Amino acid sequence: MKNWIELVFPGTSINVSFARAVVAHFAAQLDITLDELEDIKVAVSEAVSNCVVHGYREKEGNVVIRASYEESRLEIIVEDFGHGIPDIEVAQETGYTTLPEERMGLGLTFMREYMDELHIYSEVEVGTKVVMVKQIPARQAG
Amino acid sequence: MQFNITVIGQALIATLDGDLDLHTCPQFKDALTKALDTNSNVKNLVFDVQNLTFIDSSGLGVILGRYRAVQARGGKLFFVKASPHMQRVLKLAGMHRISEFVDSTTEVLNRA
Repeated sequence: MKNWIELVFPGTSINVSFARAVVAHFAAQLDITLDELEDIKVAVSEAVSNCVVHGYREKEGNVVIRASYEESRLEIIVEDFGHGIPDIEVAQETGYTTLPEERMGLGLTFMREYMDELHIYSEVEVGTKVVMVKQIPARQAG
Repeated sequence: MQFNITVIGQALIATLDGDLDLHTCPQFKDALTKALDTNSNVKNLVFDVQNLTFIDSSGLGVILGRYRAVQARGGKLFFVKASPHMQRVLKLAGMHRISEFVDSTTEVLNRA
């Protein structure tokens, strides 16, 4: 069975918890463990936080989340239309951050660790799209 | 997210309840900073995370930032009753190298 959702909301910090809760509820339709749900919540929280903090900064704009699953494959796409990432390779280095006072530079590290796949597409002053995939293995009942 | 901050001797004890993320961390950060500024004798930071339901790198950034402040005073960082998931997040962030996971705040206070 294939199922999907699409969420569009303003890229503000108050929506970070809403976003991770909605995606977690959606993912819970699969035969998923609590640990896997926690992984997904952290990954979504990091992705949306990046949209707010880095994508939009002082700008206003929407975040779009598209989540879908088919059989055991859960895909979560988080997209903003903000400043974009000038150098994706550098941004992916653990500890790299453009805001060293407040950020640990671990957002992408967490996304990569908690999901099975992470793909980042970005263009300066166009936006950033993060595609995350998690395989949810079929489990025996009982 | 709710929190309570208490200073006992050289220890600042912060009890967290709820989610610590990008939206909730500024208020927590301000309260921690104020408590550290007004209690210059504080060396150790003790975070009771038993009822902390969620943390991401935004929340960890606040904790690490305040740890850096007390590190200069020779202080230490403790997490009380961190769940297995919380420990995993903390370890992934490398926090286990600069902190101790303990079972109670009393355990930390008794060391002083």
